[in-house]
Amino acid sequence: MGMEQAWLIPAIPAAAAGILILFGKYLPRKGDWLSVLAIGTSFVLFFFVLHDLTDALARGGEFTAVHSGREWVRIGSFNLRIGFQVDQLAAVMLAVVSFISLMVQVYSLGYMKGDKRYGWYFAVQSLFAAAMLTLVLADNFLLLYFAWEGVGLCSFLLIGHYHERRSAAEAAKKAFITTRLGDVGLLIGAILLYRSVGTFDMSTIFDAARSGQIDHAYLTAAVLLILLGAMGKSAQFPFHVWLPDAMEGPTPVSALIHAATMVVAGVYLVARTMPHFQVVDGTLVAVTAVGLITTFMSAAMGLVMTDIKRVVAYSTLNSLGLMFIALGAGSVTVALLYVFTHAFFKALLFLASGSVYHATDELEVTQMGGLAKKMPVTAAVFTLGAMSMAGLVPLAGFWNKDELLLSTFENHNIFVYLAVLVSVLITALYMTRLVLLVFTGKPRNEHVYEHAHEPGPAMKLPLLLLGVLTVFAGFVVFDGVGRLMGLPGGFGEFVFTHEPEVFRINAGVTASSILLVLVGIAGGFYFWGGAAERAKAVGEKMPQVYSLLRNKFYMDDAYQWVIDRVVLVVAGVVSWYDRVIVNDTGVNGTADATRFSGFLLKFHETGLMPNYALLMTVGVVVLAVIAFIVGT
Amino acid sequence: MTVTEVIFYFIAAATVLGAFGVVATGKVAYAALSLVFTLLAVAALYILLASEFLALVQVLLYAGGVAVLLLFALMLTRARELVPVLDGAQKPFAAVAGLSLMGVLISMVFLTTWPRRADEPTLINFNAIGDRLFRDFALPFEVASLVLLVALVGSIVLARTEEEEEE
Amino acid sequence: MIRLESFLVLSAILFSLGVYGVLARRHAVLILMSVELMLNAASINMVAFAAYTSPERFTGIIFAIFIITVAAAEVGLALAIVLRIFRNRTTANVDEVHQLKW
Repeated sequence: MGMEQAWLIPAIPAAAAGILILFGKYLPRKGDWLSVLAIGTSFVLFFFVLHDLTDALARGGEFTAVHSGREWVRIGSFNLRIGFQVDQLAAVMLAVVSFISLMVQVYSLGYMKGDKRYGWYFAVQSLFAAAMLTLVLADNFLLLYFAWEGVGLCSFLLIGHYHERRSAAEAAKKAFITTRLGDVGLLIGAILLYRSVGTFDMSTIFDAARSGQIDHAYLTAAVLLILLGAMGKSAQFPFHVWLPDAMEGPTPVSALIHAATMVVAGVYLVARTMPHFQVVDGTLVAVTAVGLITTFMSAAMGLVMTDIKRVVAYSTLNSLGLMFIALGAGSVTVALLYVFTHAFFKALLFLASGSVYHATDELEVTQMGGLAKKMPVTAAVFTLGAMSMAGLVPLAGFWNKDELLLSTFENHNIFVYLAVLVSVLITALYMTRLVLLVFTGKPRNEHVYEHAHEPGPAMKLPLLLLGVLTVFAGFVVFDGVGRLMGLPGGFGEFVFTHEPEVFRINAGVTASSILLVLVGIAGGFYFWGGAAERAKAVGEKMPQVYSLLRNKFYMDDAYQWVIDRVVLVVAGVVSWYDRVIVNDTGVNGTADATRFSGFLLKFHETGLMPNYALLMTVGVVVLAVIAFIVGT
Repeated sequence: MTVTEVIFYFIAAATVLGAFGVVATGKVAYAALSLVFTLLAVAALYILLASEFLALVQVLLYAGGVAVLLLFALMLTRARELVPVLDGAQKPFAAVAGLSLMGVLISMVFLTTWPRRADEPTLINFNAIGDRLFRDFALPFEVASLVLLVALVGSIVLARTEEEEEE
Repeated sequence: MIRLESFLVLSAILFSLGVYGVLARRHAVLILMSVELMLNAASINMVAFAAYTSPERFTGIIFAIFIITVAAAEVGLALAIVLRIFRNRTTANVDEVHQLKW
């Protein structure tokens, strides 16, 4: 078992998904064990692949990604491979995806118990794991796009898991359509590159781009289209609107797909195609700009939202924006480190809020309060996750935030650096707010408070494991930790853009980061401590700002307006054209004309034999005359 | 103009006159008689063409058999009207159609070059006809007899008064 | 010497009169008579061709014999049908039998 057999990692969940979809309901426990077993096996196999990879790296020399797979279709010179590649980037993503998938599936055993579509849920979970693992392993754009759509489909199915609820069905549709806008960009971008280079194979395309074989304007267009795909999947501005609504799905799904794995596919895509972005000037600026806008909008909205899952979703948007800023700084290391650590603490946050919802059947923080007494473990891990998100030293979130600040400090202008610093402050502010509102203070709803209880072991185990990782995952930045794990050094020496990056600390940057986090937490206590009177007072003082944030900058309304006034009107015209011109006139019209002319013509059938005989004679004469004329 | 030719034109005129009578008279009985007249004239034409046998068959079968059959039919299907109208509404069109057809046919006759013959036609004796008929055309002859049998049976079945109708 | 064309023209006239009769007459038996005229016209054609093109083989005469045979059969059957129609509808006029239409 080595890197050549990496295809087994997505193949096993794929096979499990196939079995579950076809025969799931005949299996004991509807086959949930099969799903968990499959992803568990994949997770174990990952270590073999990792071991092989570190061996190859230890051997030194120029390391190139190991390709495997087989040819699928060959049409003339067109060659389509189901190809997989393993390199450091893929390895990090594999670790995140397989581990979080495993955790979430174990958690789901408890969370989804008694659900109407329990078997179906696990089948789609397996399918998602297969698609996501294929996505990170794909070595050509077409297979990547295939997996890209696969995860989109699973996301759609899982958001709409409770599709009897109208809002869930709408949210699923919204997520699918919004991401689809970006997907089209990715597809067109990949096709543009194919037309220019003649292959979908990524490394060939990168070489071509580096050596300047591809026309510059052409490459720019392709890169921007690929960025569009990444923005759609990673819910970057202006596509971010689908992610908060995606919280309609079961909470474990939010943890897996909409926090730890699928939404970071966009980050992965940009990291994977980083050679392109570096070739074309200005594209990285675009990445940064998108990340900045997303970060600020989401942070501001996170301050006022009252749905616990939505607040966490806005924090996810916030993190995704920061990852894009890291990519914009050209640092794959920082972005991937962020993906890696973020996966743990964000999954933890979601699973913990899932525990709250599971116990209380309530998502509105205005109905909660004081829950820490009833569910101390959940409260503890949630707080841990929130503080990690806020970037409190020494939790996982601190290290990546520090790295990010450092890279922006060194690679960007001061404006970006300051902006990120402000976002650090806001993040600390609203994460503190969330913890305070949910777990402290007086119970605001006795009924909810009564029902609150700790979750069962299947749910508690992932929470605790993720909690431990939230504390320690950040330490991978240190060389010693990496060597202890058999890796060639710290994270920066494992994943890098051009050359290994050794972990450094800039005292000024780190100090300002820690200071701002502490200020943010203190501010959270100041505004939302107790009965949160001060926060309410601020809200009342600035009603316009408050309602602007509550209404998500009116972007949903704007999109709705566009859909209602533009899309639906155009669709109405098209549908009118189709119904009236094409159908009524074109299709039914010819039929009606035929029927009417038949109605008119049928009267020539008099039923009188002499008439027929007369016509026959006339016909003979006419034919004879024609033959005579033509003949001479 | 030879004697034969004179005889031919005479017989031809009789044929056409008879045929005209068939299609133009106002009474059915006259029409039937005209038909018999025409058939006999055609028989005479056959003699001119040196086919005595055919002339005999024509007289016996057509002028005898078919014409009598037609007369019977006329008798059995006597019209209810006191003054029967024998022609349909499309008579003028029929005249135009018939005339134009005639024009087409005759012009075709004159536009085509036909083979010519110098000698007078020799009489074909009965033995030769029998020889041809039963040797070379034995199968068609048998098929024709079968056709006649089927027609016979069919006519009886069709024309027979059914038992329910009698009651 | 009579020319072949003379017979053919006579046959054409006879045939056209027969066609006119079929088209103009309304009594079924009269139509049948007109059909007989057309058949005779065809027979004259056959015999004339036989006499003028291959008098030693006289295939046309044999054809004429068959035409007469078939005509006899046809008249027999047709009259039976006319009789049948007359019994059912008390008429032998073809313009009163026009159920076969829209």
